[in-house]
Amino acid sequence: LDDRVAGVVPGGIDPKALPDLTQRAYSAHRVAGTVTAVFAAAGLAWVILTDIVLYGISHDHILIARIETAKGWIFIALASLLLYAVTFRSAARLDRVRRLTAAIVDSIADGVLLLGHDRRIAHANPAAARMLRCRLEELIGMGAADFSIRFRVTYPGGGLVPPGRFISQRVFEEGGPLNHKITLHPPGGGALVISATAAGVHMGVGDEAMWVVSVMHDITESEHLERLRDQFFGAAAHSLKTPVAVIKADVQALLPGAGPKHRRVAASIERQCDRIDRLVQNMLVLARARSQTLELYPIEMALRPLVEQIAREAVWSYRHQVRTELTGSPSIRADQERLALVIRNLLYEASRFSPAESPLTLVARPEGDRVAIGVRYHPVSWRDRASETYGDYDDVGLGRSVAETIAEGHGGSLREETTGSEITSWIYLPAESGANA
Amino acid sequence: VNRRNDVLVVDDDADMIEVIELVLQDAGYATRSALNGKLALEAVAIALPAVIVLDMLMPVMNGWQFAREFRARYGGGVPIVVATAAEHARSRSEEVDASDFLPKPFEVGDLLRTIARHVPAPPPPNTL
Repeated sequence: LDDRVAGVVPGGIDPKALPDLTQRAYSAHRVAGTVTAVFAAAGLAWVILTDIVLYGISHDHILIARIETAKGWIFIALASLLLYAVTFRSAARLDRVRRLTAAIVDSIADGVLLLGHDRRIAHANPAAARMLRCRLEELIGMGAADFSIRFRVTYPGGGLVPPGRFISQRVFEEGGPLNHKITLHPPGGGALVISATAAGVHMGVGDEAMWVVSVMHDITESEHLERLRDQFFGAAAHSLKTPVAVIKADVQALLPGAGPKHRRVAASIERQCDRIDRLVQNMLVLARARSQTLELYPIEMALRPLVEQIAREAVWSYRHQVRTELTGSPSIRADQERLALVIRNLLYEASRFSPAESPLTLVARPEGDRVAIGVRYHPVSWRDRASETYGDYDDVGLGRSVAETIAEGHGGSLREETTGSEITSWIYLPAESGANA
Repeated sequence: VNRRNDVLVVDDDADMIEVIELVLQDAGYATRSALNGKLALEAVAIALPAVIVLDMLMPVMNGWQFAREFRARYGGGVPIVVATAAEHARSRSEEVDASDFLPKPFEVGDLLRTIARHVPAPPPPNTL
């Protein structure tokens, strides 16, 4: 096994004798035709030439008949030798290709399972056996149901993957390649998180898959690191929020007795507290989204109170007047906390990219079967070049990415509209629909 | 203790307790505090407060454990306001059958308005 893993072809093959797999496949008909034509030409030449020589040197009919018989035997012997040589060469070549293919599959560090037309495992490489903590022989012939029982295949969330939903089975009907992330529980060890890809092997375009190649990539370690990062962000966010909350409350508690100068300083501290809080929330959402653990808690909510509350927040009044344009009383089913973060992110972006004292307008209106929430502003001239200075993931870029993620998590979208000298960042959410993240 | 406007603040952060108590006392409320759920249960055993401001993530006994034990012992007569830095403050508050919630960081004005929804704000001392 170890030799195979190291990429050594069993039996040894002269590398020069290996077929060049990058060349176009030659036509089997052409080769067979050439061999047959050469054989027929050589046979014809043998018959004609030997007959000419024979009839030239002898007129004895009995002798000629005996020599003709001997010629026939010689022809059969030579034809047999030639047939042996051709068959041997072809069989040896096929064997080399077979061993080379097996050696390539066996040398792959990821687990590889080949499924035959009966949808059972026909071949597995040593990496698959190591990964699944079993012997290769145990895998051969195993069907999806047996695999499910033996290795308890679950989704990352914990639910059991029905054998019929294995990508190695689905790919026979759906085509491919397909991929998914699953958790395996091989006996005698911890769970494995696997990124699996399955693709059908087709002999011709439009043909059914004859074989399916399923590749299992072990991502347990990276998943563990992702989880650690997620936990770190969660803990860091909680740890950061508490001191920010204390500072903000302390400053607000001091305000009643403060003079104008101290009020200005206090307002600045509050604004920075809000900014840190928003950054922490954004980083948390991004971490959750990356690890696919972002959860939304949608509730039926009227949009008007939320929009009006955010418009009144003191953080914007430092540089801008925030107006509202609310049409009707749109209500949606959304995660209020996350939706508020989206609106604040877009308002912050508008605030950063518009001149001081210019108005910002918060718009909310029903549009058919969806609700549109927009932030309208007059951009500064350097807005489109801002990323050259701040990069794509400063707090504005991060906020926009998070806004898009949350909007899409609600089944909605984010887009920008330019009208004259104004820009509006719109989020469209389905009216009264649930979140799907 | 004036039980009609007595607020029990339960939080593992002493600075957070201090500033909440400062704000509430300035508004005319009487306050008590506890650093975890276990100490809070000892405090309510002495006298039931008018409202409880409850943090969730605390050592010894967290907010969920406290709320469950408190409701089992005293029923639902005393409103609990969940004040948490955790995500999804609303769902956290629903988990413990809380009357209200306050995501951290919060505005002092929001704190006062939230408490006043459950315990009417006493008149300021200088107007008595």
